[in-house]
Amino acid sequence: MESVGSDIILSIKDVSKSFPGVHALDKVSIDFRRAVVHGIVGENGAGKSTLMKILSGVYQKDSGLVVFDGQSIEYTTPYESMQRGLAIIYQELNLVNTMSVGENVFLGRFKEMKGMRGTHAKARELLDSIGCKVSTTKLVSELSVSTKQMVEIAKALSFKSKLIIMDEPSSSLTAEEMAELVKIIHQLKAQGISIIYISHKLDEIFEFCDIVSVMRDGRVIDTKPKSDFTRNELITKMVGRTIENEYPPRPRSVGETLMEVRSINTHKLHDISFTLKKGEILGFVGLVGAGRTEIVRALFGADKVRGHRVLIDGKSVTIRNPKEAKDAGLGFIPEDRKLQGLVLPFSVESNISMASITNFSKFGFIRKSLEKGIGARQVQALAIKTPSTKVPVVNLSGGNQQKCIVGRWLEIAPKIFIMDEPTRGIDVGAKYEIYVLMRKIVEEGGAIILISSELPEVLNMSNRVLTIFEGRITGEFEPESTPIDTIMSAALGLRGGAA
Amino acid sequence: MTMKESNPVLRTAQVLFRDYLVLVMIAVLVAITAIVEPKFMSPLNLVNIMRQFGPLMMVSLGMTFVIIGGFIDLSVAGIINLVAVVTISLIQPIGQVPALLTGLGIGAACGVLNSVVILSSGALTQAEALFLTFGMSTVFSATALLYSHGSTMHFWDIKTSKSIFETIGAGTLGPVSVSFVIFLGVLFLLWIFQTKTTEGRAIGLTGGNKTAARLSGIRISRAIVVIYTICGLMTGLGAIVLFSRITTAAPVIGAGYETNAILSVVVGGTTLKGGKGSVLRTVMGVLLVVLMSNCLNLLGVSTYLQVAVKGAILVLAIWLDNRKQV
Repeated sequence: MESVGSDIILSIKDVSKSFPGVHALDKVSIDFRRAVVHGIVGENGAGKSTLMKILSGVYQKDSGLVVFDGQSIEYTTPYESMQRGLAIIYQELNLVNTMSVGENVFLGRFKEMKGMRGTHAKARELLDSIGCKVSTTKLVSELSVSTKQMVEIAKALSFKSKLIIMDEPSSSLTAEEMAELVKIIHQLKAQGISIIYISHKLDEIFEFCDIVSVMRDGRVIDTKPKSDFTRNELITKMVGRTIENEYPPRPRSVGETLMEVRSINTHKLHDISFTLKKGEILGFVGLVGAGRTEIVRALFGADKVRGHRVLIDGKSVTIRNPKEAKDAGLGFIPEDRKLQGLVLPFSVESNISMASITNFSKFGFIRKSLEKGIGARQVQALAIKTPSTKVPVVNLSGGNQQKCIVGRWLEIAPKIFIMDEPTRGIDVGAKYEIYVLMRKIVEEGGAIILISSELPEVLNMSNRVLTIFEGRITGEFEPESTPIDTIMSAALGLRGGAA
Repeated sequence: MTMKESNPVLRTAQVLFRDYLVLVMIAVLVAITAIVEPKFMSPLNLVNIMRQFGPLMMVSLGMTFVIIGGFIDLSVAGIINLVAVVTISLIQPIGQVPALLTGLGIGAACGVLNSVVILSSGALTQAEALFLTFGMSTVFSATALLYSHGSTMHFWDIKTSKSIFETIGAGTLGPVSVSFVIFLGVLFLLWIFQTKTTEGRAIGLTGGNKTAARLSGIRISRAIVVIYTICGLMTGLGAIVLFSRITTAAPVIGAGYETNAILSVVVGGTTLKGGKGSVLRTVMGVLLVVLMSNCLNLLGVSTYLQVAVKGAILVLAIWLDNRKQV
């Protein structure tokens, strides 16, 4: 029994949790100290998210002990744990888009705040305390991702949180926004608040975490002060094996023009024209909201965009919807795996076969044996970790889910593969596997359009990058021979709009 | 208390119990009623039950597709009203076969119209479909009222042959009723369609995640047209089975069918969230709903209370469904 006022704010002892077919957590024990930034790293599927969901009360543990601030917690709900002083800021932020900033901070507690005037005044105070200048009357839907995160932090502070858990907070932040977040983290720490920081990005872990825990396969592999870890040791412990490089060598097989896109124009995009060559990885570099995703969605027929021309192998093609895009030889990995990519309650097999199944039907009937083959082939080829092809895809870890989507498209052998944030929320090991796959696709004569918010990823994987700023292409570079600063300033629109 | 959840045997038992709760409930219902009221097991009553579930079964089977596809159809009551009054009125002027085909055609056309309204308005949520089809239901019912001038039509007013409808309504094939045979045939076709064809799969994927299905090149608009057309067609068939059995058609005979059909589908275990479900489950659901009415009748429970019981069961079924972890 830890006493109140001890150095430990949260103690987890022998916590286990299993889902049908998956042992998500296996006797996990970690102590979290007061006023310390505690990093948790681990591959997807290592159990980090499950652990956090148990702490917040989304899931209930099967066994074990959780002691928060000297109080043993058996059963809890998200609201209870917030009131107790344990707040979680999820990757997919939990704000009501149609309400104002102030209302979101004190959602459901307007009465305690003595009405809207009190709500806005108190929200202002909290936002000021973390140096966020956004107006409390602004609608959340109009905010950038980073500002939304600030609102979440203000909300956490409003509960007088003693511990704030941040789940992959940086996945959609730009470098400057990240610096802002780091400042706030230091500030919170100075106020005596503990932070649990979950991330895949080792740079961040090394930048500001004090203590690091490594998780793998539902277990805690190691917990020690950051300074006792080397970068390689951390990676090795995360993946359970040694990884030599973070990126495979760049493809060298660039051939002639495969696709030509001429003047995509929408209210957000201005005269987007580019070419894509066989065997090439073409990267799109730009800020979140610059229009990268809009370009590929227009190309794939996902949004209603008219008036542009697309030539594939010199022939003009019409793509008005994703079905026509598929028939023209395009594949698409959308940016949001869960919302746009997977049909979560369906099996791994159905998720993999869903793009190709019509190609293999006979008089409209599904050929079950063929479908089985498709599922088994991709699971094996991509080394997808799953107990069987029949389990719901929701049970898989993020990296394995992403592989299912890749496999879905590989089955129709697309000529042009569009990948929007293909490695978001995926761990180092699975990332490398996806990179190797990308390389294989282009070596076999395909071409890839790559969008990623991780600059090193685009720059190391692409043969050529286009910089995009406010809906315009502002430059074209070969990342191998161009200084990063040049590319970045074009992506930030500093070169005065070359297009 | 949380420990026992991890026990695999108990867990499987829990899942089985939850998934096939409806079978357990049917068994319990039959047992209780048979004990309390021996008349329940009499051949006459069993035949009666078989006849009773015909129309609701057709409508519910159609509704199953709409719900698996992630939508809902509140217009079935209106479609029944319209198909019933139009079909019965056409038997004498154009003959019974053309009348039958026209009736089915109107049902299907109403379904197509529903899907066109939904697609053209850009409605992609179940809630939007709920309101749109609710509106369409009043349109269909009003059309039925205008067409029939609100009057009830009877078989005995028809001077020409109406043998097909009489056979559907009261004919037997050996020991079973003709409507039961129709049901088996239709069930077989729909089951094949749902589980073996790519369109059936496309419907499930659309219900499971519309965005993901669309971005994988699945034609979700076509799936939406198909589910509403099937529902309209099956509702048209249900209307024909219904007025053939009671030999009368009034422009209000469809009242209550939408709730009963949704009740049957959900009680059967098809999730309102879309994606997962089966026509076979719906058969169990309809069986339970009809058996329940029958046994409540035999036990002398008032109609008002019966409505309350049904409502409570619908709420309970949705409640249980929502508590299932994905």
